[in-house]
Amino acid sequence: MIRTDEHHSCKGTPMCHSDQKQLQSNSMKNGYHKKEKVQKNGKGDGFHQPRVRGEDSFEEAPMYVAVLTYMGYGIVILFGYFRDFLRAVGFEKCHQAQEREEQKDFVPLYQDFENFYKRNLYTRVRDNWNRPICSLPGPVFDVMERVSDDYNWTFRLTGRTIENVINMGSYNYLGFAENNVDFLKTVAEETRQYGVGVCSTRQELGNLSTHEKLERLVAEFLGVESAMAFGMGFATNSMNIPALVGKGCLILSDELNHTSLILGARLSGATIRVFKHNNMQSLEKMLKDAICSGQPRTHRAWKKILIMVEGIYSMEGSLVRLPEILALKKKYKAYLYLDEAHSIGAVGPTGRGVTEYFGVDPNEVDVLMGTFTKSFGAAGGYIAGKKELVDYLRSHSHSAVYATAMSPPVVEQIIRAIKCIMGVDGTTEGQRRVRQLAENTRYLRSRLKEMGFIIYGNQDSPVVPLLLYLPGKVGAFSRAMLKRKIGVVVVGFPATPITEARARFCVSAAHTREMLDKVLQSLDELGDDIKLKFSRHRSSYRPELYDETDFELDS
Amino acid sequence: MALADAWKQLSWFYYQYVLVTALYMLEPWERTIFNSLLITVAAMAVYTGYVFMPQHIMAILHYFEVVQ
Repeated sequence: MIRTDEHHSCKGTPMCHSDQKQLQSNSMKNGYHKKEKVQKNGKGDGFHQPRVRGEDSFEEAPMYVAVLTYMGYGIVILFGYFRDFLRAVGFEKCHQAQEREEQKDFVPLYQDFENFYKRNLYTRVRDNWNRPICSLPGPVFDVMERVSDDYNWTFRLTGRTIENVINMGSYNYLGFAENNVDFLKTVAEETRQYGVGVCSTRQELGNLSTHEKLERLVAEFLGVESAMAFGMGFATNSMNIPALVGKGCLILSDELNHTSLILGARLSGATIRVFKHNNMQSLEKMLKDAICSGQPRTHRAWKKILIMVEGIYSMEGSLVRLPEILALKKKYKAYLYLDEAHSIGAVGPTGRGVTEYFGVDPNEVDVLMGTFTKSFGAAGGYIAGKKELVDYLRSHSHSAVYATAMSPPVVEQIIRAIKCIMGVDGTTEGQRRVRQLAENTRYLRSRLKEMGFIIYGNQDSPVVPLLLYLPGKVGAFSRAMLKRKIGVVVVGFPATPITEARARFCVSAAHTREMLDKVLQSLDELGDDIKLKFSRHRSSYRPELYDETDFELDS
Repeated sequence: MALADAWKQLSWFYYQYVLVTALYMLEPWERTIFNSLLITVAAMAVYTGYVFMPQHIMAILHYFEVVQ
């Protein structure tokens, strides 16, 4: 029987124990469920009903746009080959790293051709990234002006600052990146008492009382039993997934998962299978195949099946289909790892993330992960869930054992941000910010759609990708926006598919209506000037959920 | 006045052409090379058309027996 095998092979891992309890309560016989209520509504106040998730839009651009995009890349690649030829022959100085004369006969250290893209495409428009900022990254910030004399190989600062640039790129969803003295009183007090450096890991002498306070607060905020905080969000994913799964386990990860999740999955040594983005049919088919066929050669049962998804996908702005995934998870007895890096604090009526948005009980998700970098204005990540899980991670996770503990002022910033959102500090500031963010998001998205731009993602997600497609327009857009004193983040290949370069806006609760209006007006003018309004209001080409589903949602 | 407007419109069209063909990313001398190549090819096509069009039209009319 599968149950006894599982018990045997994962002795000591707490995930098994909690699942045992769940299994007994479900009492499955021959695949039919007893008709009992498994889903409970979340803890939110009775006023906010769980939202019906709007559809994600992935509108397709007209055919000529795709053709012109490929043509543009083709021309630049041809010129790239031409320039490489000139550099090889010696007509042109090579700015890249090269070996010394004495070492020319050795095995080559620098792989020339692999950096083709970087050398010939990225460098030409490199001035749109890594811009030096000389102020707090709040709703407006100051950018240092820099110019290049040799087409972006080297830069020099002119000494002038471009002031009051509207910030549409920072992950400042609730506006906690601020230097208001009143709000930061406790942080200053904490620095005065504890200093800044911790000089030890959590396991040795670095476990301060503030860390314990933070973890209790995070668990209370999310509505789960226990939580653990780590110093770096990326490291939370990449160092903890290897502790949870290993060889002989199966990871089903979404197509568009973040690099940290992919790295953690690869480091763990488990088998990874990728399902199409947000496509529940694809996921169910894979679950069925996995359970029927088992491991590849031996056909033994998988030790664990872990489904890895994100709350909001940062490049698309789409929301996860949480109720469907929970139903699938229960039916096929898999575990769920939910990465709420962008959605914690940013969605949900009181800012508790996607679990509250959909009205599901956070205790149903096995591993809740999130970061403090985005909505809380600090640095670090957390993993939350059942007490046995978190206690296991405290001793078995690389990040917990080897990484230096979080710095006290940063911890205090997170504590005060969480208290503000929960309303514990006695003001309604936190709730005002959550509502302001939702309002700003809806306003920006609806106006951009009206204007005729192609916007991806769900209507409630504060990440707004605006599609640019053509490589020439990517550079032109970013530079023109900076000239109008708006700072945006543009992304191209390889972070996105090659035909879908985009500008990604991150709405903040600290943006006022005037700022958003200025941004919208500039986008309107620029859209007409550069011709970016491709939308024809057509439906998407990515396969959506069919009308017929073969799992019961409310069993 | 009309000339200034026409010049502005033409320069906007050139800007669009440069954006769409990704010449915007290239250095000025590379743009010159590409534009010269394009103009050369277009000029050769127009010249060929000019030289051979009468012959082609006569051949078509002969085929449809409009002219002997």
